[in-house]
Amino acid sequence: MSTETTTTSTEISAPSRFLNEITATSVIVKLYSGEEYHGILESIDGYMNVTMEDTKEYVHGKLIKTYNDVFIRGNNVLYISNV
Amino acid sequence: MLFLSFFKTLVDREITVELKNGVEITGTLKTADQYFNLKLDNVKCKNEDKFPHLSSVKSIFLRGSTVRYVHLSKGDVDTNLLQDASRRGKLH
Amino acid sequence: MSDSKSEPLDLFKVLLDEKVHVKLRGAREITGRLHAYDSHCNIVLSDAVETIYDTDANDQLISTQKKSEVIFVRGDSVILVSSPNDV
Repeated sequence: MSTETTTTSTEISAPSRFLNEITATSVIVKLYSGEEYHGILESIDGYMNVTMEDTKEYVHGKLIKTYNDVFIRGNNVLYISNV
Repeated sequence: MLFLSFFKTLVDREITVELKNGVEITGTLKTADQYFNLKLDNVKCKNEDKFPHLSSVKSIFLRGSTVRYVHLSKGDVDTNLLQDASRRGKLH
Repeated sequence: MSDSKSEPLDLFKVLLDEKVHVKLRGAREITGRLHAYDSHCNIVLSDAVETIYDTDANDQLISTQKKSEVIFVRGDSVILVSSPNDV
């Protein structure tokens, strides 16, 4: 086995690592249209599609609805933030 | 590919397409492609007020990206077949 | 313990043949039974009820409903999908 240092390797990018780290944690998903979804991030993919559990939907700061399981299409997502 | 096959099963059936601008068009589906561009014959519009008064139009080509919904009857679809195809999935 | 990562589209698989609630662009919502989906979120629902929210001349919130035996919804309109028992 060569012991030369390689730069290719299995380095994971900071955004990808962030996405891995925040699954199963509480997050806020904000959409371009302004809605905020507060819940537990179940899964996320490369398109920023997400599924969440125990989610509360806030519009203009007001609680509108709660969901047990929700899928959000990634193109609508402005950001995903940890809480 | 799943929905392309689905649309191909609807050829020669009457469908109602609702566009993103609210226009509703009923017609006989003649062709569909991978972008869900549709060609309809025997076209009638369901809401004259929004339709650009092309009442003489008999055939149209609809760009897939302008479609919001396609309304169908239960007899046009095999829901079990659709579910199986989705489960098997082109996704995995 | 094997921890297989699930992906978001897996939720659709679980919801097949179940009633779902879909939020769409343009202040629209549809509930119906899910029969088909793909990675673009194109979906086919049966016994669908579409609710359109709008404001009237006095800025009051109004909603109109339309029924459809079977409806194909193009994925680019979809915002979110969930099971409706949370409504």
